[in-house]
Amino acid sequence: MSVPKLEQLSKSVVQGPTLATGAIPTMDWMDIPVVFKPGNYAYPAKKEKVEYLDSLSGLSFPNAREWSPEDDDWKLPEDWKDIIIKGLSDRLDKFRSLKIFMDCCVRCGACADKCHFFLGTGDPKNMPVLRAELLRSVYRNEFTLAGKILGKMAGAREMTVSVLKEWFMYSYQCTECRRCSVFCPYGIDTAEITMMLRELLHLVGVGINWILEPVSNSNRTGNHMGLQPHTFKDNVEFLVDDVEGLTGIRPNVSFNRKGAEILFVTPSADVFAEPGLYTAMGYMILFDAIGLDYTWSTYASEGGNFGLFTNNETMKKLNAKMYAEAERLGVKYIIGGECGHMWRVVHQYMDSMNGPADFLEVPVSPITGTVFENTASTKMVHISEFTADLIKHGKLKFDKSRNSHVKATWHDSCNTARAMGLIEEPRYILDHVVDWVEMPENTIREQTFCCGSGTGLNTDEIMELRMRAGLPRANAVKYVHDKHLVNMLACVCAIDRATLTSLMNYWNPGVEVCGLTELVANALVREGENRPELPEGLRTMLF
Amino acid sequence: MDLAEGFRNHREKIINKWVEYTLSTYGASSFFIKERDKFANPVGGNVREALGQMFRLLEKGADSKEHQPYLDQIISIRSVQEFTPAQAVAPLNAVKHITREVFLADKEREHLAAELYDFEFAVDLLVLAAFDTYMQFRERIYKVRIKEIKSGSHILTDSKCPSKLVSGKDIQDLTKVNGN
Repeated sequence: MSVPKLEQLSKSVVQGPTLATGAIPTMDWMDIPVVFKPGNYAYPAKKEKVEYLDSLSGLSFPNAREWSPEDDDWKLPEDWKDIIIKGLSDRLDKFRSLKIFMDCCVRCGACADKCHFFLGTGDPKNMPVLRAELLRSVYRNEFTLAGKILGKMAGAREMTVSVLKEWFMYSYQCTECRRCSVFCPYGIDTAEITMMLRELLHLVGVGINWILEPVSNSNRTGNHMGLQPHTFKDNVEFLVDDVEGLTGIRPNVSFNRKGAEILFVTPSADVFAEPGLYTAMGYMILFDAIGLDYTWSTYASEGGNFGLFTNNETMKKLNAKMYAEAERLGVKYIIGGECGHMWRVVHQYMDSMNGPADFLEVPVSPITGTVFENTASTKMVHISEFTADLIKHGKLKFDKSRNSHVKATWHDSCNTARAMGLIEEPRYILDHVVDWVEMPENTIREQTFCCGSGTGLNTDEIMELRMRAGLPRANAVKYVHDKHLVNMLACVCAIDRATLTSLMNYWNPGVEVCGLTELVANALVREGENRPELPEGLRTMLF
Repeated sequence: MDLAEGFRNHREKIINKWVEYTLSTYGASSFFIKERDKFANPVGGNVREALGQMFRLLEKGADSKEHQPYLDQIISIRSVQEFTPAQAVAPLNAVKHITREVFLADKEREHLAAELYDFEFAVDLLVLAAFDTYMQFRERIYKVRIKEIKSGSHILTDSKCPSKLVSGKDIQDLTKVNGN
């Protein structure tokens, strides 16, 4: 090989106009078009799914059609621009927060380098401030005097097809994790700007299948998978058999039982896919050990709410079904399993959408008598709050050595950590059941890094994008893997359990992923158990 | 003034230029160059760490195998970003030119530029090894994708919703079959 001049080498490295290819920006960000190619976008929603959702009362998913992001022509409705501007106007009236977020940003840049998509791609349009600017520029043009008069000088621009395409690209390169909001001096919730962008795009029939099909399944059968009641019941019962085989005690489970004290709702992924199903086995072992009077529901068989990733009406509808089922069964309150965005919806939106749930009672632990006053309105207790309370009152007996195969670290799932402040409880539980270490300070607690695949971006066609976005998280895990021989990444989110597994398989092979309740059940000592040596806890294969 | 001493003297300068050159391939290069916390800036941090180690290995003419952990550190990142294969590995080559330029700019050491044959040959080998590494990581990502598909989460969208079997159209079809 010859010795090229640095400039020549640069020429061969830096080519093409897109920022994402590594080119040095020579144009204003507004003038740089997005380029869709396989791997950088999630597949559009199937026409029949959009039609089905649009046919439901109270929901609106108009303009269903076949289209491809790679085509020049997205077959938008003729009056698409009017639809978008009117949609924005409606939302500015309806959501005061949006109006404030549009007006109050001073572009200080505190959020700029906090986004995992920005850190993994180096693409300036993934700075939260600039991602919001994609919408704000149109807002200025249509709704502010300065924007109308001064145009580009005031940071305004007209809504064009190219702007719409940019919205699609970057509102699906945001997982609504809200890490940027932690650093914003004005408290702008950039996640809500992404939510608005996605809502507006749905008005013109632009959405992705990985979100709309689970939403449609959830609406039909109550869960993302479209599992019918008997299938859901069968899956749970398979796990009951497994638990009996592993511990010698057959856990008592029931379905749709009227008059049960508690309804238990968890992501459906927990009952059908690894590694979530070990967490589901954990729930059964824990509840059986304390003799909890609870029931599963084959209708409210999904904690996840992909409606959150579409529009507020759909989120409201999917959230309502859990409460409708709780009312139908006549339970006192709900315990929620290890889910991420279910908790964001419950903690931040449920009360104004469907609350208060007056037909339920303020949750009281039947074992310890603790009143969960923090859930006085939503009547829904997080399993980690519930478990930590049991431990605090000495109601559970643990043998930590049963987790001796595990050296864990803790991933604060974005939604539970940032949206509901669930930070200390999981740590308190971990202290009692397993040997574990923290990741570096600026990657945990409120500052936790997202798995990179939340908000319905956990689909395989954008695997590389997910690996880039998950780099900041994986980078911190690598540090504790190398330094402390960590081999398990524990968390309380079903999307995390699925997607961190892929993330670890790429960045840190040798690190597995588990739910917190799996570790609890591994270590739990029960009377009457007939438990053989389980070198891998609940994951042990017995022959 | 021998080559080893020349490397020692200009090590920091060369590494810095190499790091900056590599990070200039990103749109947000200024932040990636400036922020030194490896956890706040994973791309910049890993590139800085790995290139620093690799330069020290190049200085002592280490076996190319010793470079592997650092090649992994950089190429694992660049192989999932939007670079072509050539763009992903090319910045490694830059160290040849940077070193030559730095030596030539130093009157006392400009003669060392003529002694860089072995060093540059080692960089060539490094670039070749980087291509292998790039391919390993591309294969890894395909395997991760296949594993995820096999794990069953694709059921989320690619299976038919069972209740669709009783949708209106199907019921009409059934009635037709039954002749009712």
